[in-house]
Amino acid sequence: MSRKYRIVLAGNPNCGKTTIFNCLTGARQHVGNYPGVTVESKTGEFMLGEDEIELIDIPGVYSLSSSSPEEGVAFEELTKPGIDLIMNVVDSSIPQRSLYLSTQLAELHIPMLLVFNMSDEAKKKGLKFDIKKLQSYFGCSIVQTVGSRGDGVDKLKDALAESLLHLEDHDVPKLTYGADVDDAIHELEEWIEPAMTDRVRHIPARFFAIKLLEKDTCVMRMPEFQGLDAIIDAQITHLYARHAITAETFMADCRYAMISGACRDAISFTQERRREISDKIDAVVTNQWVGLPLFFAVMYLMFWFTFTCAAPMTDGIDWLFGWIQGLIERFWSPDVQPVLRSLLIDGVIHGVGGVVVFLPNILFLFLAIAFLEDTGYMARAAFVMDGIMRKFDLQGKSFVPLVLGFGCNVPAIMATRSIESERDRRTTILVLPLMSCGARLPIYVLLVPAFFAVKYQAFVMFLIYAIGVVFAMAAARILKSTLFKGDGEVYLMELPPYRVPTAKSILLHMWDRGVMYLKKAGTIILGVSVLLFIANNFPEKQKYDVDYGAQIMAVAADTSLSPAEQAAAARRIENLKRAEEAEYTISGRVGKFLEPAFRPIGFDWRVTTAAIGALAAKEVFVSQLGILYAEGEVAEDAPDDEQESLRQQLRRAYTPLQGFCMMLFCLLSIPCLATLAIIRRELNSWKWMFLEAAGLFALAYVTTFIVYQIGLLLKIGTNYLA
Amino acid sequence: MSDKKSPAAKAGASAGAATIPRDCSLAELPVGRSAVIVSMKPGLRGKKKFADVGLVPGTLLEMEAHAPFGGLLRIKVMDSSLSIHRDDAANIVVRMQELP
Repeated sequence: MSRKYRIVLAGNPNCGKTTIFNCLTGARQHVGNYPGVTVESKTGEFMLGEDEIELIDIPGVYSLSSSSPEEGVAFEELTKPGIDLIMNVVDSSIPQRSLYLSTQLAELHIPMLLVFNMSDEAKKKGLKFDIKKLQSYFGCSIVQTVGSRGDGVDKLKDALAESLLHLEDHDVPKLTYGADVDDAIHELEEWIEPAMTDRVRHIPARFFAIKLLEKDTCVMRMPEFQGLDAIIDAQITHLYARHAITAETFMADCRYAMISGACRDAISFTQERRREISDKIDAVVTNQWVGLPLFFAVMYLMFWFTFTCAAPMTDGIDWLFGWIQGLIERFWSPDVQPVLRSLLIDGVIHGVGGVVVFLPNILFLFLAIAFLEDTGYMARAAFVMDGIMRKFDLQGKSFVPLVLGFGCNVPAIMATRSIESERDRRTTILVLPLMSCGARLPIYVLLVPAFFAVKYQAFVMFLIYAIGVVFAMAAARILKSTLFKGDGEVYLMELPPYRVPTAKSILLHMWDRGVMYLKKAGTIILGVSVLLFIANNFPEKQKYDVDYGAQIMAVAADTSLSPAEQAAAARRIENLKRAEEAEYTISGRVGKFLEPAFRPIGFDWRVTTAAIGALAAKEVFVSQLGILYAEGEVAEDAPDDEQESLRQQLRRAYTPLQGFCMMLFCLLSIPCLATLAIIRRELNSWKWMFLEAAGLFALAYVTTFIVYQIGLLLKIGTNYLA
Repeated sequence: MSDKKSPAAKAGASAGAATIPRDCSLAELPVGRSAVIVSMKPGLRGKKKFADVGLVPGTLLEMEAHAPFGGLLRIKVMDSSLSIHRDDAANIVVRMQELP
């Protein structure tokens, strides 16, 4: 008879839990988020003989309390009714620390299976386990595995099947804390027992008694145990007076004492060889002098990998969407349903293409991040960078996403997931759009040579990037001292020994992120792309001020022009027509309507319209200006002579000051919609997304206003400097 | 940080300038030296968090490294490496072990 079982996978961070999870479930897993917190939830399924197993991977924690959002989630998940078995993965190369969590799990009296993972490392260290003794101690079976090689997984499945047969008559652990502590626990149990409701009756009173003695906030808050304060306090004072120690650490102390007793009893050292290789690598990697330069080299490599190595794939996707577009254009005549055709091509395909085109970057980036995380380098990187980042009220782990922001803000914001501190993470996400991303580069490439002589160009370019960084750092400080004020979370991070990552877990990690990006960002962006398409194309102009058709005919008939000249003239007229159309559309009208508001920062309606278009993607600013200046759609990678004639027009129309203000505004203002969509997703809040957009707009407007007005006043950049 | 030194550390310091005080804060423990945790000062935040990873009185630890530009310290506890902030380490009193 087949049954369905719910099994929870628990363990410390870095214990190889994810590897075991992947070994058991393969690709049959779903990644999600726990509601309200940015803690990832992961479930998977697999078949064990006839039985169907649902495996729930809870976040890696050191203890079952509530010192962090992860611990809160783990606690909640484990105390929910309906769990058939807990599979506790233990890094058996550091038994003392790892078994600390196991003692707490054992107290839940839910059937348990202990997975002594990394048993190869334990062996290398010379640890020998008396498995029988340990099994009777924890009241459960123990399986030894090497998750990274897949060793012992079959044994694990056998032991699991065996444990599932004995769910009703499983052993209970024999854990004692010494006479006086056990007495206190018993005493409390008697008070707790009658207070228990159905909600918690599947958990022994003893578990809650211990948690209450620890003054665990999660348990103290439970409605069942209100009114027991006086009894708890009496027990605590009684105990702690005798032991002269504080409540928070008392039980931890007892637990470690108990574990070290058990370890002395059941674990023997045959030789002393401690993580020698790892320590040797670390002597260099976390060295006070070499650590930082090495880190920057790794960052450079990662940047190169993400953006340069992914370039052929990005081009391939571009080509694919171009091909699809060509196919539609060929088989769908422009005369049939022209609006629908145009919506499909310019709205849907360009919109979706705009999202999918980031996919290679995201996949490559997360491949690199997963590699660095699984080898253990990421923890070191945070360690060496922390000192510098703290000066800006951020922490070491914020650095990687910020650097990636220069490439593309979207994957960079997704990379903030590695920051545990919620406030640091939010701050990093919110300042990230100020890092000038790759899509803003075409704007500078167009404008800088248009307004600045060669000798100033590099400086202006550098200045723009530097302004972004300075504003980001300043914004981080301001955010941390206002909105995200308060004592930072206590910093505590483990530096696991270096390990060779498994291809499977790296690829799965990459896959998760890719799917997540496509699903969540894709839907929003698609919708908004359609809206922007409508704004940029409607209403359609039916009656033109000039008869362009006649003009084109006239050009075609003009025999004094060479065919090439004829084509050029025809194109110019065609573009004039497009400019008139653009002026007539919603975004053109909005641009004109908003012109008075943007005049104080040096924009006319054309620039304003282009800035609105840049919401879709920053580089659209360039193509919009191209349309409005009747130069045709200037692709961001158009040949230089095509861009050059647009530059000449711009030079005639604006001062270098205005040109600089355009760049400044594009740098600081609302990021592209893909970025906004990902901000909404990662902060899990529409409110924050709108606040961010409004805040950045205000910042951009005020800054550009000040620069423009002061520039005008002091006559800086009002004339072209040769 | 000198005003935050424990009484024991002061006593050790006054015994002679050349001898290192046996009791000092974890933040003052030189790289490469081992020590046993004596107590946690009342000002220590996240006591439970530290206790959960084994930082309780009686635990043997070793200072492994200091991060560049101050801030973080790296200590070895129960055979695993932890990085903690100097400000928190200043609230942990340790007794330095003799050099082997």
